[in-house]
Amino acid sequence: MAMTASRGAWGRGVAVLGVLAVLALAALLPFALQDVFHQRIAALVLLAAISASAWNLIGGYAGQVSIGHAVFFGVGAYSALLGYTLFEWPPIAGAPFGILISLVFATIIGLPTFRLRGHYFSMATIAAAELVRILVVNWPLVGGAVGLMGPAVPRSTLDLSFTSPRPYYWTFLGTLTALLLVTHWMSRSRMGFYLRAIKGQERAARSLGVPVQRYKYYALLLSAGFTSLAGSLYALMVGFVDPDSGFGILISVRMVIITALGGVGTLFGPLAGAVILVPLEEWTNATFGGAGTGITYVVYGFVIMLISRFAPGGLAELWRRLQAAGRRHAA
Amino acid sequence: MLLEARGIVKAFGSFRAVDGADFHLAEGEIVGLIGPNGAGKSTFFNCLAGELQPTSGRILFRGRDITRAPPEAHARLGLARTWQVPAVFEEMTVRENVMVGAFLRHGHRQEAMRRADEMLAFTGLSPLAASRAGSLGTPARKRLEIARALATEPELLLLDEALAGLTPAEVQAAIELVRRIHARGITLVIVEHVMEVILTLAQRAVVFHQGRVIAEGAPRAVVEDPAVIEAYLGHSLRRRSARA
Repeated sequence: MAMTASRGAWGRGVAVLGVLAVLALAALLPFALQDVFHQRIAALVLLAAISASAWNLIGGYAGQVSIGHAVFFGVGAYSALLGYTLFEWPPIAGAPFGILISLVFATIIGLPTFRLRGHYFSMATIAAAELVRILVVNWPLVGGAVGLMGPAVPRSTLDLSFTSPRPYYWTFLGTLTALLLVTHWMSRSRMGFYLRAIKGQERAARSLGVPVQRYKYYALLLSAGFTSLAGSLYALMVGFVDPDSGFGILISVRMVIITALGGVGTLFGPLAGAVILVPLEEWTNATFGGAGTGITYVVYGFVIMLISRFAPGGLAELWRRLQAAGRRHAA
Repeated sequence: MLLEARGIVKAFGSFRAVDGADFHLAEGEIVGLIGPNGAGKSTFFNCLAGELQPTSGRILFRGRDITRAPPEAHARLGLARTWQVPAVFEEMTVRENVMVGAFLRHGHRQEAMRRADEMLAFTGLSPLAASRAGSLGTPARKRLEIARALATEPELLLLDEALAGLTPAEVQAAIELVRRIHARGITLVIVEHVMEVILTLAQRAVVFHQGRVIAEGAPRAVVEDPAVIEAYLGHSLRRRSARA
């Protein structure tokens, strides 16, 4: 009771100031990290947080666990580099087209899959993503199994090709901030309430006048658009994409694991998950690099086991438990 | 006429759960749907609510055909319902549950919250507003369902066994709540096992048996109807009681 009373305009002001302070610190972080290796990891953390936060819109808030989001990521990455390959556009110019194509794909994929629930929905999204991956492998125009390259050397600043990871870090930070603002606004609006109702009890939601299919579509379109943008940003930084790094199932699984690790359906869960998982991946790659990429799967499996055994709600749940324990302690 | 159902049939395979039921409802009524287990009253109720689509027959709400309309369209038209087994959104707070209903007519968060708080006060749930709905017991869940349905601002509220499983004291409180809902000008259809509730609340009772309406009228008269007694107690008992 005392807690709810202390909130309100004043509490909100403090929260906004806190967020701005954290954002300022995050923007200054690359100056604290002197070596390129750590700067690059910091940028990759943000990139992973963008795609996981985008997935969180449909998978977390609406509870529709897609394991096919690599479709949108791949479309974004390929669009960026295909524009360069075919027309010598700067890669970023392909991003809007990637978003557009992803929205079309989302509409097509949603039509049959939204009739399915739970695991059946997840399996259908895997099938859709694999279908697209196989098509890409066999389509010479988009590079087939070899993939696509970006410009080898920057032709102008428009190519947004930098040797330092810092500019990428700031670009990703800006994008993530925009995405989290949209998510925050969405979660407090009618749409956020409707998505949580759909996640909880679809039948009850409908009886309260929630147009379930329409809101699932809104969430999927929003999610697909941002996932595609994440793919374009990835292509921008890495300058190369092939069917596995664009459309591979690992790309989809990674978004799910990062979000689940941090906290499904929470604003900062995906970011928290990325802060832990991405350095862990980099560390295992650096340590067991010679052993191949298989070790990444082992890490993912281990993380899944830890989450489901100890905290199905992810880090967000642990945080709440800590807070509750703190309150008990204080009282 | 607020609601009219003509010749409703709902078949599951070869079994006709509702077999040609007619029903009408005037504005401002409280009507009880009663009948023994398996009489088809719940199936009929779900046809009215749009949860099930009748195999044949027509349902009109304010003269408008809603036979094939989906549940969300029913809510928009002003026809709300509760569930026999409470279907609250467990991960949301009590207030947020009611806000989902309020968002139907109010797009803005502040306005939806204001409406929700009104409904929480009306149903006596205000002290629980910030609790997680999943932490509530059955009586509070049933109240929450009613608050949530009322937040959609219905003209007609369909209550599916809203009082089943409550203690006598809770039943009294619930009856009082139903009366206050009625006083707001909301028409009510109540499906109920507990005969006492129908006798105290309903102005008219409609008795289902084997998918058909076998009797209808003032509750006191209906429960003394031989056909109704027979439906509830069966032939043998009736013969025995006649001999005694």
